[in-house]
Amino acid sequence: MSATPFQELSPLCQLPAGSTGRVCRLTGDDGFCQRVREMGFGEAALITKISGSVTSLCLVNGTRLALNHHAAMNILVERLPASAR
Amino acid sequence: MAGGPRRLVMSQLPAHITPPSPKRPAPAERAPVYAMVGNPNCGKTTLFNALTGLRQKVGNYPGVTVEKKVGIAYSQHGRPLQVIDLPGAYSLAARSPDEAVLRDVLLGRREDTPQPDRIICVVDASNLERNLYLVHQILDLGRPVIVALNMMDVAAKAGVKVDATELERVLGVPVIPCEAVHGKGLMELRLAMSRVELPLAKHSWDVPAPIAPAVAELQASLVQNDGRNLLIARAEALLLLTDFDTVRVAGSKQLSDRTHVILAQWRERWTAEQTDWSAVLIRSRYDAIQALCKNVILRGRDSKPSVSDRIDAVLCHSVWGWFVFFALMGAMFFSIFSLAEYPMSWIDGQVASLADWVKASMGEGDLRDLITDGVIAGVGGVVIFLPQILILFFFVGLLESTGYMARAAFLMDRPMSKVGLNGRSFIPLLSGYACAIPAIMATRTIENHRDRLVTILVTPLMSCSARLPVYLLMIAMVLPGEVVPPLQKAGLMLLMYALGTGGAFFFAWIFKRTLAKGGSPHMIMELPAYQRPHFFEILRHMVERGWLFLKNAGTIILAISMVLWALTTYPKHENPDATSTEQIAQSYAGRAGHAIEPLIKPLGFDWRVGIGLITSFAAREVFVSSMGVIFGVEEIDEEDTTPLREKMSQAQWPDGAPIFTPLVCLTLMIYYVFAMQCMATLAVVKRETNSWRWPLFQTAYMTGTAWIVCFIVYQSGKLLGF
Repeated sequence: MSATPFQELSPLCQLPAGSTGRVCRLTGDDGFCQRVREMGFGEAALITKISGSVTSLCLVNGTRLALNHHAAMNILVERLPASAR
Repeated sequence: MAGGPRRLVMSQLPAHITPPSPKRPAPAERAPVYAMVGNPNCGKTTLFNALTGLRQKVGNYPGVTVEKKVGIAYSQHGRPLQVIDLPGAYSLAARSPDEAVLRDVLLGRREDTPQPDRIICVVDASNLERNLYLVHQILDLGRPVIVALNMMDVAAKAGVKVDATELERVLGVPVIPCEAVHGKGLMELRLAMSRVELPLAKHSWDVPAPIAPAVAELQASLVQNDGRNLLIARAEALLLLTDFDTVRVAGSKQLSDRTHVILAQWRERWTAEQTDWSAVLIRSRYDAIQALCKNVILRGRDSKPSVSDRIDAVLCHSVWGWFVFFALMGAMFFSIFSLAEYPMSWIDGQVASLADWVKASMGEGDLRDLITDGVIAGVGGVVIFLPQILILFFFVGLLESTGYMARAAFLMDRPMSKVGLNGRSFIPLLSGYACAIPAIMATRTIENHRDRLVTILVTPLMSCSARLPVYLLMIAMVLPGEVVPPLQKAGLMLLMYALGTGGAFFFAWIFKRTLAKGGSPHMIMELPAYQRPHFFEILRHMVERGWLFLKNAGTIILAISMVLWALTTYPKHENPDATSTEQIAQSYAGRAGHAIEPLIKPLGFDWRVGIGLITSFAAREVFVSSMGVIFGVEEIDEEDTTPLREKMSQAQWPDGAPIFTPLVCLTLMIYYVFAMQCMATLAVVKRETNSWRWPLFQTAYMTGTAWIVCFIVYQSGKLLGF
């Protein structure tokens, strides 16, 4: 899979509600990145945004996750077309 | 030969055969110790409670504020099996003291807890791949493992079908499907736990080749210099090499110097190469897990919105969510303060009856007074709050059990983040409205230690129920008479609550920018699926927490009450017929009241109020009964304080000016909003922070704030002619 250009990525908090994205990059400190990967939504995971722009509510593999603004800003996703969900 | 086999007797043995030695009984083997592990929200504690029933002991791991729960389950032969309920975690890489304790116990790093012989991994069947990550790490340890495949009902509802037999085959360990909440699968789990031999896992995952030399070198050092066994050493090596920001806690054995040197060298090398081996390793594990689950998860999740999704559309809505939140919180508080009234009155009556019985049964004297005014009053002063504590814990348990509490923390995260905290601080702060003691104990759920410290420091500013008698007395003095609309009185009460809450948020903002700067600002929280509340579990939780409250607060308050009784009783007045007012004025407490009068006079308080402030250190509500003693009112009714109010409103300064003006009453209420006066809270803060530094700091900043704010209010009020 070729790397998605940085400019096409957006933070998870900016993903519109109802749309799905693929996690492409994690910024933030090592501990945060490691925890995100261990919880199963590291690079290449598919995330569906349920709601929120400050605190984000997301669905990953059937698990509902709440992320605050700082966490959501550090997860860069590539928005996928509607059929990807 | 006809018939059964012929039995030989010793005398029939040929001469060249040595008879066997007489049989000796085999030494009694220790029953295996089980550790129960799993992700948060996988039903681990429900399963632990189902296996062990009431045969549990709850304590703390020495040196660290993490709860230790040990219970006894019984094998199929009736043999007791010790089960340790370890804290929930997503991984052995520790980000919080809870996770550090889990890691240390499993790796055998704790002196106070022997390494478990066997491990029960509880996994959520509806989220198998994520849950298997921790299992995958635990299989590295080479210990016998049983996988309890829990929440099968939740998986079925979500349209997920898991083949437990296939999972058992690929993992090579027993896999027991169960639904802990309905009691299903417990028998099969007990049978598995009863087995004398358990197979070890068919764990054939290899670390990525470039990291292998580092693992091998570290593993060798851990075996030679730290006394680990081979498999544990390998698992520990993997953790050490890739877990850069790990939490270490008191009670954990230190690694040898040689191991530290090897670790530092490899980390330095990878940092220079800019290689993120942690990410590679995690990816490698998940790839292995996905391969394992290929034929295990037979039907994927339904794509249509679940019931939880539909409920969340309302409860997590940016507008409707808040309506529901405030409605629920309002209902909870109304219940705490109204439903608790009846049992509190009953307890009050029983305590008074007990004191009367002792007075009637014993002759007059100091011992009788110590028992009635020290011991009974002290214990009664704690027990009377039990109904409120239990109701609070009932609602907290109900909201947690249904899954709503996580949503509440999610909603509260945004306002909390304005002051540098996150949504997890909401539950302790909320609990502080009933009592600071269980609230401070609830801060253990906050992962970040700086956020936890700040939450502990500000929680006592939330107006607890012990302040209510003081507020009620002062409000009745500020707004006397039945003609005053209840709305005005309620408004004044709410103002005090708002001041306390505002103060908590203000100081949280300050502390997060000064003494508790930094820390991870990230919050990631799993929102479990909504489910029906399990009332038995809620009741068990209520009783457990209530007992802990009684034990912790009761012992401290009892001791302080006895000391304060002595301070208000001795030295004795020279005149044996002196009134209680004269006696208390003469006592050490009275002298202390006189001594601090210069300090509190700028706030409008005299030495009698000073005595009340001192005695409030046992418990804030003791202020009312202290005023009763000082002003010679024999029977104090907290609901009808008319006799006391009348006496207090007649109190004067030496120049004839009244002491308890409306301004002074308001100032006194504000003092009680901000001042730290509860010794029991201080003792719990000391225990939760493992230091006297923080309770002393808390006393200084809160009481200092109270003095400054009251000074401003009183002096400004006087200038304005009030």
